[in-house]
Amino acid sequence: MPKDFTQLNYYEVLDIKPDAVAFEIRHAYNAALQVYQPGSLASYSFFPEDERQDILSLVETAYRTLISDQARKDYNEELIRRGELDVRKEATSTAKKPVSIFNISRNPVAKVALTNNETLKNKINQSQLIGDILAQNELCGADLKKIRTELGVLIEQIAQETKIRHDHLRSMEEDHVARLPAAVFLKGFVKSYLKCLCLEPVEALSTRYMDTVARLSQK
Amino acid sequence: MAYIWPIGGGKGGSGKSFLTSSLGRLSARLGKRTLVIDLDLGAANLHTLVGVPYPKKGFSDFIRKKTFRLEDTVVETPFENLFLISGAHDNFDVANLPYEQKIKTLRAIMKLDYDSVLLDLGAGTSFNTLDFFLISQHGIFITTPEPTSIENVYRLIRSIYFRRIRYCFNVTDFKALEDEVVIQFGDGSFNKPECMIKVIADVYPEKYEQLQDAFSAFRFKLIINQVRKHDNAALGMQMSRMLEKHLGLHIEFAGNVAYDDHVHDAICQRVSFLDRYPCTRTACDLHEVGKQIVQPGGQQLMFRYL
Repeated sequence: MPKDFTQLNYYEVLDIKPDAVAFEIRHAYNAALQVYQPGSLASYSFFPEDERQDILSLVETAYRTLISDQARKDYNEELIRRGELDVRKEATSTAKKPVSIFNISRNPVAKVALTNNETLKNKINQSQLIGDILAQNELCGADLKKIRTELGVLIEQIAQETKIRHDHLRSMEEDHVARLPAAVFLKGFVKSYLKCLCLEPVEALSTRYMDTVARLSQK
Repeated sequence: MAYIWPIGGGKGGSGKSFLTSSLGRLSARLGKRTLVIDLDLGAANLHTLVGVPYPKKGFSDFIRKKTFRLEDTVVETPFENLFLISGAHDNFDVANLPYEQKIKTLRAIMKLDYDSVLLDLGAGTSFNTLDFFLISQHGIFITTPEPTSIENVYRLIRSIYFRRIRYCFNVTDFKALEDEVVIQFGDGSFNKPECMIKVIADVYPEKYEQLQDAFSAFRFKLIINQVRKHDNAALGMQMSRMLEKHLGLHIEFAGNVAYDDHVHDAICQRVSFLDRYPCTRTACDLHEVGKQIVQPGGQQLMFRYL
């Protein structure tokens, strides 16, 4: 059995929590007025006229008490004396902050594996295969792929690092001449690819790659 | 055992029969064997809404003892999985169903073997309506956002509350209880169920416990029908909040159903509104409401008529 309406405390009358801020109190007051005022549809015929007046004056008192800081403090103390309110809940001073819905981490985490340039450079210097490929006159996409797999770097990592689309990277590595982007873009792409794998010298290697592609496309 | 959904609303014309037929259609479409029963005795017209203008059999056959089983009065409708017990062609005194006939009907309804059973109840607060409403704890109230209709639905809710209290007492005890309420709360308060329950808590604590269990088992729902664009959409929430606060009765607000002139057109053409106008706002609302109602949670509890 719920308590009789006239015996509810002011917070219960307005349906708010004891730590509600002024905005919430005003909002709850408006909502209560919509329900209980004489012209309201929701409470039509629900109460006799005198009962409605009692309820309205109770809502009014509740609002006036809670909206004024001093009166609210006194009222809270009275509630605590009556044992209806915990002392902990009374502390209302901390302002509410917006709560984030998603926990987006803005720190670059995925880069760690690639930015470790020293290990990549060491690998390049030690590897026989990479040395052979770089010594050639030509540099095609398949060679790039070989170097990448030799270094143990995933194509997804390159895509993440360089922001080049997957399908472009794949057609570069598979030498799909027809599907490659325009030369002006391709040059930039291959440069970022090389930089990403710490292959030196970038300028010379990229020119070599572009020449190879040009020869392939003429075939 | 079937899920039984009694559908009631205080005032006539608020859309009880229309909603019953629509919800019945929606439930049948989901593959549930659905039975709609027209219990608006003496003013039956559910058969027209489900496309059976001249039902061969009806509820009155059961009352007049032409058949002994309620199952034998079921007729099929043009729609798959949807069945009807019609109230058409009743004899003219069926509206005043005697007590033992009513109990017989209630027992027969509870034994029916369907997935869900929807009862279309009449307007007003006669004992028949109240008792049929209290057959299950899943009753649905329907009102339109107009003062007349709202006044009647509040009256119906209070009457049902009252009727449930009345089940717990015999005539003399109830009379004594009424007198006690008048002494404590003053003149006219004996028809306020909230005052009465307070007295019961003092005088008959074990009955009070019993009633508390009964009331907390209720899963009543409220639907606002014929909501126009400029009407207050929050009305249902406000009503359910107020009922909970002042009457202590939890009635869940199930949704608004928009007003649409096409409903009138569909009824005049005697076609199913959901088939003829499937993409209207009203049809979408009906789907939304239907979703909550066709898939019930929890166990069906029955009041025992022994």
